[in-house]
Order: sequence, then C-alpha cells, then structure tokens
Amino acid sequence: MLLLAALAAVLFRLAGLLTAVVFLPLVGAGVLLFADRAREQTLRQTALGASALTFLLSLPLYFRFDAGLAGMQFVERAPWIPQWGIAYHLGVDGISLFLVLLTTFLTPLALLASWSAITARVKEFLICMLLLETGMLGVFAALDLFLFYIFWEAMLVPMYFLIGVWGGPQRIYAAVKFLLYTMAGSLLMLVGLLALYFLTGARSFDLLELYRAPVPAAAQTWLFLAFFLAFAFKVPMFPFHTWLPDAHVEAPTAGSVLLAAVLLKMGTYGFLRFSLPLFPVAAEALTPLIAVLALIGILYGALVAMVQPDVKSLVAYSSVSHLGFVVLGLFALNPQGLQGGLLQMLNHGLSTGALFLLVGILYERRHTRLIEEFGGLSRVMPAFAAAFLIVTLSSIGLPGLNGFVGEFLILLGAFRQNPTYGVLAALGVILSAIYMLWMSQRVMFGEVTNPANRALPDLTGREWAVLLPIILAIFWLGLYPQAVLRRIEPSVARLIQQVEEGRARAAALEPQTPPRLVSEADAGPKLVTGAQDRRP
Amino acid sequence: MHELIWLVPALPLLGVLINGLLGSRLSPRAISVVGCGVVGLAALAALGLFAELTALPPHTRVLRQVLYTWIASGNFRAEVALLVDPLSAVMLLVVTGVGFLIHVYSVGYMHGDRGYARYFTYLNLFTFSMLVLVLADNFLLLYVGWEGVGLCSYLLIGFWYERDSAANAGKKAFITTRIGDVGFAVGIFLVFATFGTVNIREVFDAAGRLPVGDAALTAITLLLFLGAVGKSAQLPLHVWLPDAMEGPTPVSALIHAATMVTAGVYLVARLSLLYALAPVSLAVVAAVGGITAVFAASIGLTQNDIKRVLAYSTLSQLGYMFAALGVGAWTAAIFHLMTHGFFKGLLFLGSGSVIHAVHEEQDMRKMGGLAKKIPHTYWTMLIGAVAIAGIPPLAGFFSKDEILGEAYKLGFLWVWAIGVVVAIMTAFYMFRLIGLTFWGESRVDTAVEPRIHESPRVMTVPLWLLAIPSIVLGLFLAWPGPPLGSLFGMEGPGLLAGWLEPVYEHGFELLGHHEAEFAIFGIDGVLILISVAVALGGMLAAWRLFGVEIGPLQRRGAPAQVNRASLNKWWFDDLNHLVFIVIGGRVAAFAWWFDAKVVDGIVNGIGAVTRRSGGGLARVQTGHVQNYALGIAVGLIVMAGSYLMIAGR
Repeated sequence: MLLLAALAAVLFRLAGLLTAVVFLPLVGAGVLLFADRAREQTLRQTALGASALTFLLSLPLYFRFDAGLAGMQFVERAPWIPQWGIAYHLGVDGISLFLVLLTTFLTPLALLASWSAITARVKEFLICMLLLETGMLGVFAALDLFLFYIFWEAMLVPMYFLIGVWGGPQRIYAAVKFLLYTMAGSLLMLVGLLALYFLTGARSFDLLELYRAPVPAAAQTWLFLAFFLAFAFKVPMFPFHTWLPDAHVEAPTAGSVLLAAVLLKMGTYGFLRFSLPLFPVAAEALTPLIAVLALIGILYGALVAMVQPDVKSLVAYSSVSHLGFVVLGLFALNPQGLQGGLLQMLNHGLSTGALFLLVGILYERRHTRLIEEFGGLSRVMPAFAAAFLIVTLSSIGLPGLNGFVGEFLILLGAFRQNPTYGVLAALGVILSAIYMLWMSQRVMFGEVTNPANRALPDLTGREWAVLLPIILAIFWLGLYPQAVLRRIEPSVARLIQQVEEGRARAAALEPQTPPRLVSEADAGPKLVTGAQDRRP
Repeated sequence: MHELIWLVPALPLLGVLINGLLGSRLSPRAISVVGCGVVGLAALAALGLFAELTALPPHTRVLRQVLYTWIASGNFRAEVALLVDPLSAVMLLVVTGVGFLIHVYSVGYMHGDRGYARYFTYLNLFTFSMLVLVLADNFLLLYVGWEGVGLCSYLLIGFWYERDSAANAGKKAFITTRIGDVGFAVGIFLVFATFGTVNIREVFDAAGRLPVGDAALTAITLLLFLGAVGKSAQLPLHVWLPDAMEGPTPVSALIHAATMVTAGVYLVARLSLLYALAPVSLAVVAAVGGITAVFAASIGLTQNDIKRVLAYSTLSQLGYMFAALGVGAWTAAIFHLMTHGFFKGLLFLGSGSVIHAVHEEQDMRKMGGLAKKIPHTYWTMLIGAVAIAGIPPLAGFFSKDEILGEAYKLGFLWVWAIGVVVAIMTAFYMFRLIGLTFWGESRVDTAVEPRIHESPRVMTVPLWLLAIPSIVLGLFLAWPGPPLGSLFGMEGPGLLAGWLEPVYEHGFELLGHHEAEFAIFGIDGVLILISVAVALGGMLAAWRLFGVEIGPLQRRGAPAQVNRASLNKWWFDDLNHLVFIVIGGRVAAFAWWFDAKVVDGIVNGIGAVTRRSGGGLARVQTGHVQNYALGIAVGLIVMAGSYLMIAGR
C-alpha cells in the first residue's frame, strides 16, 4: 500500500495529476505481477488499494476543476513521435471529467463486489481489472488521437479475458462476438484516423489542432460514418446491439458493471469528442437517421427487455433503451439535450452498474439469474429489497433520483429539436416502468414459492459497502444535479459553438455546390430552428 | 414565517428519514409518535402560514420561498421554490389536517403489522410528496410531487406485497398513471418551448398576451389534463383506482379519496387561467368529468365489496369536480374537493372499521345488522353517507349544490342534468351500502359473529373528528353568502369564494362571469328543491330495497343487460387485458424473436460465412513449398500485368 502511494507520488511529481490517475492502476497491476499468487487475500487488498487510491487521487480533479472554463484543464503535453505529429497529451474538460470520475468511483466497488465471487485465477483477474481501468481512464483523458487509439485498443484485451475466462457457460461465443464487433469498429476508426491526418492538412494527431483544421465537407460523410460505426458498435445502437446481451449475461459481475457503466459510454463519448466537432456538416446531415435509430433503440430495447427470462439480459436490453435516450439527447445538439445526455451517461453508469451488482449478489447466493427462480425476496432479504427498489426507481427516472434529471433534459432537448422525437421517446418512459416494475414484482414480491429462496442471507457488510456509495450518489445527483450540470455547461456550450462554426465555415466555402447529403437533410434541421425561435 | 415554508414538507420528510433508517430498531410506539407527530407539526406549520396569509390584504396573499436552483441548462431553469397562495393554503390544510387524522387512525388499524415502520415511512413520504405538489411554484417541481405521490401510491397499494393481487394492483396503478404522466411531461416540454420558462406565474404572464383559443395553449392544457385524468382516475385511465383498494384502508382514505386523487382537480384549478384561454380544453374537461361521474356511479350501484363501492363513488365525485372545473365553477370544484376530502375520508375509515370488526371481510353480502354492534362506526358512517348524498345542512349538500347551480346558471344544462342523475345514484348506492352493512339481519359468518367488536379509541376518535367537519364544513365555507346568507339578508360571496377570489379573478374576467350571486328563492330555490328531492328519492329507494326487508339479496328492477354491464364494470378491465397483456405481450415476444433470429441471425450469419470462407482459405495453406512458389509467381504476374495496364493507359 505504501509502495503504491509512493509510486503514485512519483508519477504525480514526474508528470502530473492526470497521468498519476490514469497510470496508477497500471502500476498496481505491475505490483501484482510480482506478488505471490497463493496469497489471494493480499492480492485482492492490493488491487482494491490501488483502485481506491486512484479514486482518491481523482477527487482533486472534481474539486479543483474550474467550472467557468470551457477548455481543457489539468493538461499535460510532451512530444512523443514529433515527426508524425504524435504527442503524449492528456487533459479533461466538462465532457470527460465525470466519465473519469465515474470510472475511478466504480472500479474499486466492482473489485469489492467480486471479493468472494472470483476464486479462480484471482491474480490474473485483478490484473485484468486494473489494466482495464487504466485503459478506460486513458480513453477519456487522451487528447491525442494516436494515444486515444492505443488506450481504446488496450482496454479491449482485458475485457475480452474478463468475459472469456471468468464468464458463464457461453463465455467464448460472447467474448469473441464482443471482440469481433469492437475490432471491426476499431479498424474503421483507424482508417478514419489516418484519413483525418492526411485530409485536414494538419499533419497532426493532436485533437485540439484537428479541431482547428476543418475537414472538407465532401470528405466528412465518409469519415463520419467510419467513426460513427466504431462508436455505434460500442454504444451499442440498434441494430448493432446483439453482442451486448450475450456479453452481459456471460460476463462476471465486475465485468458487467464496468462494461455497462463505462465501456458503453466510450461510444457516446466518441460522438461528443470526435463525431460532432470534427464532422459537423455530416453530423447534421445524418442526424435524422441517427435519431431514428436512437428512437428504435429506445422503444425496441424496452419491448425486448420486457420478455427476457434472465435478469441480466433484461438489464442489458434496458441499456440499449437507455443509451438510445443518451444518443437522442446528444444529437439534439442543444444545451438541454447535450447536458442531459452527458448526465444520463453518468446516471446510467450508476443505476445500471448498481443493478448488475444487485443481480450479482443474487447470483452468488443462488447461481441463477432466471426471474422465475425467484419471488418473494422482499420477505427474506428486506435490506436487499430496499436497495433494489431505490435502484429500480432510479433506473425508471423517478424525480428526486438521478435518472429523472437526465431523462427530462434529454426529452426536453429532443422535443425542442423535433417534437415528434420528444413524444416518441417519452413513450419509452412508460415502457421502462413496465419492464422494471414487472421484473421487480416477480423477483421481490409475492410469496416465497421456491424453497431454495427461503433462507437466503440478507446483505453482508461488504455488500453494503459496495451499494451504499452508489445509492448516495443516486440521491445526490437527483437532488443536486447542478454539481454536474454547472461543470459541464461551458464545455457543452463550446461544443455547440464548434459545430455551428464548422457548419458556417462549410457553407461559406462551398456556396454554389452544396454537397448532396447536406441539402437532403435540410428539412430536418429547419424544424429545429423553427422550434427554438418559437419563444416570444 | 414565509422563510419557514420549507418546514411544512420538511417535517414529514424527517419522519421518512427517522422511520425509514431506524425503523427496525424503534418500538412501535416510537414509530407512531414520529409518524403522526411530524404530520401534526406540519399541520400546525400550515396553520401558521394560513394565519399569515389572512393577515395580508387579499390581493397580496402570496408567500414564496426559493430554496435552491435545481436544474439549469441553457435557458432552462427550474428552482426548488415553494409558493403559498389562497388556493395552495386550503389544500395544505386538507392534506395535513385529514392526513394527520388518518395517520392517527392508522396507529390502531395497522397495529401489529410486521411492516409497521415501513408503513409509516411510506405514509410520511406520501405526505411530503403531496405537500411538494401543492406548494410547487413551477411545473417541474409540481411534477416531482406528482410522481412522488404516484410512487407512494404504488408502494402502499402493494404494501402487502405477498398477495399477488396487491402487487399487481400497485403495478397497474403506477403504469396507468404513468401514461397520463407522460402527457403531463410532454405538456411541460411544450410549455417551455412556447413560453421559455416553466415558472407558473411567468407562464401566466406570458399566456395572458396570447389570444383566447391559441393552438399551443389548447395543446398544453389538454396534455396537462391527460396527466390529471391519470392521477384522478378519470375515464379512460380510471381502471387502476378500484384495484387500488388492495392497499390498507387508511391508505385508501388518504391517497385514494381525500388527497392524491384530487391532485388532478388541484392542477386544473391552479392553472385555471390557462384553461380559461383554451375553451376547447375546458369543454373536454367538463365532458370527461361528466361522463366519468355517471359511468362510475352506475358501477357503484351493483358492487358488493364495501371498499369498491366507495372507490367508484370517489371516481364519480371526482368526475363531478372536473365537470365543475369544465364549466368554470372553479370555486365550487375546490369546495367539493374539500368537503369530499372529509366525508369520503370518513367513509373509508368507517369501512376500515367495519372490515376490522368482521375480521377482514369486505363483502357486504356477508355483513348486515352491524349498527348496534359497532355504534360509533355506524353513526359516523351514516353522517358521511348523508353528507355525500347531499342532504342539507351537511357539507356535501352545499358543495354539490353549488356545482349544480353554477352549471345550470352558466348555461351548461347537460352538466346539470348529469349532476342530477348522479345525485340520485349516489344517494342510492350510499344507502345501499349502509343498508347492507348496518341494517336488517346479520349475514355475518357464524364463526365471526360473536367476535364482532367496535374499534379502539385511536380509530373511533378520528372518525368523529372527521364527522364534525362533514356536518358543518359546508355551512361554514358557504357562510356568510349563499344560500343561508341570503336568508338572513346577507349578500356577497361565501367564505371560500371570497378567499379564492384573488386566485381566480383573471380567469373569471376571461370567461366573462363571476361566481353567481345566490338566492334561496326563484330559480335557485327550484334547483335546491330538485337536488334535495332526488337525493331523498335515492335514499328512500335504497332504504326500501336494502333497509326494511333485507331478506334474500337479489338484484331487482334493473334490466339484466345493464346490470351485467355495471357488475362487469363495463368490461374495461377485459379490454385492457386484451390490449395490453395479450396484444402487448405478443408484440414484445415478437420483438424478441426478431432480435434473436433476424438481427442477431444476420450477425451470426456473417460470422458463419467468414468462418467458412476462412476454412476454405485455410486449405490453401498446404505446406508444400511448390504451391507457395506457384502462388507467388501468379501474384507477381498479376501485379506486373495490372501495373502495365494502368501505366500503359
């Protein structure tokens, strides 16, 4: 522990806070590498210590973050491969800050949750988890596209092993499906990155420089699509979502938690960080298509969730539905939609992460996740029931809890963009109440009919320690969302400005021959401005 | 005192925290003291606010407290801000006053239940949410309270979650009302898109500049009314309320009679200015209310479960209130909301006492002759029944009569006619209930018969405390104006009308009428005579059928078809079952099939094709150097050839 703290201090002195946060888990993994695999308890404590220390170290990012600034903060920059315009460049703004915090917050909880669930290859499991954490943090903090790509790929490998080694009976199928999907996306993105490097003339992989170098409007559509697919696979958006239920059902609890809470957000984060600011013209042109896919995801995901026999696949499909909300909000491209979308990324991370933790608690006791195996658990496990209720309510967007604020802002933003989107998405709110309440009724209510459930122990102290922080966060974000909204507002405003400038520039450059796709989509966005101007 | 508005909702919230977090460690006594105490204190705080309001000149009777900015995004802004004006003040008194008595009654009713702490936690949470709803100064905070009471309703209906019927009823209530709530939410979006704010008073200011009948306003008011239809269980979203009787009876009294279900009425009254600007919406409100009033009363005539009769009666009375709102008789609607809160709360608590006495039996066919055995319950319920039937001088007479009179005089003859029909039915089914329960010979199970007992003091005292306002509240609130005032030569509006005047005056100006002057003679006298006559007629008919000769219980008179329709609740539940469970289930099952076979099928198909082509290509790797050399040679030739072709052009 002391060793870890010392190493963290060294990182901090040598580079900076952000580097220390990103690489401390890696250091922890390195320490574990040399530890004695027989002393499992010590291994677990070390891994937990490393991730907890990472969380503590990341707290100053929140407290010292200047909410008045739109640009990057805690920036670290060092040349790496200068002849290719590649640099080691880290930084956070309002868009990435909370995703970094979500990651550092949930990883120790996920580790704590797998304390007794993982008994095979403990050492490798813990190393994978810590590697994954560094990968996730790097993705959110990297400001150089090359560096970003490395983290993006690096994170895949431990996740692949988490599913493939510690997963359920169908784990190989699920892991390969996950890997192939993501790899396909990564390759598309790699092509896109290279094209970006050459087409813009910036001759740099630095994101901030690329922001300043406009992508020719004609090239935007193809580049946008390359990035879009990579991110849409990850989100996942309909119809690319079928890897998710498999991956979730097979993954161990900790894997599911991080997969749902953080990995899925990389797709939506990619939309915000790359797709929208780099290819504003194409983004505008394709917004109707994306919105329709998001709407299908919301309603279709909810419908399919309704009839799932397995709690985990139910939650997985509910993620498809929830992430549909997020994408819809982001592509509304107004402050409410964007802020709501970002906030909902956190909310989904908390509530779905907690749902997977709760399912994991049941699985550890009963070794099944089939809804029909349960019933009447409120009687047997009252504390579990209370936690389950709160998380369920958070997931269905009850006001006062976190989910509501994000959902409301998204719907408001979508409504302002196009009332039809807003109304259709609002129907998803009814469906989410149906599938969640029906599931929780079948699991928690009624008489205990299955004798195997009669003597289930209630939450243990360790399980409380895992759930309580999340429940507190659920209340905190529901009652005082300004803590987040205030910090993300300037960055979101800047993003909107970037997109508008990009469009204006494209329009000024090519007034006589507008690209075909842009003119086709003009009908959609016109509605947007119409709705916005309607205020007296 | 206005810096202390927050105290009113905060006190019940404190109860939630104490009983919710420590409940398992507290004694039942401590739980009761906390649970009831916080609501009692909130009632006192509400009285304090009320007193402060009365001290102000009528047109400045507004207290506002901003606690903090809840959500700010772009130009959207929602604060946690509380507002007390004459309208919210009367609601505060009803919610905390009736609420307190029902909390106390619960101490006896829920005695010994294993979920005692949970019960009071939920009940306090409900009170908190309801107070937020009433005090909200913007649409979004109102929505918070709105959803909050819905949640508590869900939790309390399904309080005995081990019963499947209770768990189902809770879920049904939540989902049905959520359909309305989505309308409410979309209404809020449209409010913001139209006015750029969700603050109610700012919206009023901006709306005042729009022409009457503005399309956006009509849409907004209709969408918000959809929310009210869900929460106040009006047609066609009424189906959850009768099932909600699965909850403990005090819950039915508090949530499903006196307070939560009246939230829709409160909403429309609070936004009366917007409705005044949207005549189409007002007509819709009147129509939905009127139809629900008749429809529900017709079902109430034949139900045999004592609580279900009261549930349909509540639907019907809420319909009455909406009909009043729709014709512009806003004061009358709130008047009826208040009196109904007391006498219906009383009737529900009374039914709880009956159910207690006959050991959890709710079927009135297995009661009868209870009057002598549980006299407190009998007399208080009788008072409630006379009050709701509209016999002067009890409370229901005044409020109901004001609705009928206003409807008639404002030219809504059809609303008046419906009101009269409903009045007959109301008197009939209430006295059918009284007759089957208390009069005639006992049909109680012989095993239970000797153990029938009156409820403890902690339950009968609240009954009497609700019975008193059920007698005098109407007279008090109508004083010094009509109709008694005019007898004594006093003119001007009644107490309540005068009190609410500042809230409604702009709306009244828009509608071009004032609360009509009232007189005991002339047309008013005729109207009063008609309404009292029909009430007496209904009572007598019920007494004749179910009071005097109680013999074998056959339904007589009504044609078989109508009777069947009434007994089957006009087949609404069957329709819902078909649409939502059968068809909805098929759609969801089809979606899953589609996902597994088609969407994922394509993905797996691509995988299979890749694997097979990979397998095919693998055969090329023969391991023979000659084959590889051949491959290299062919490749070179192809490359060179293509180079030459391209370069040669």
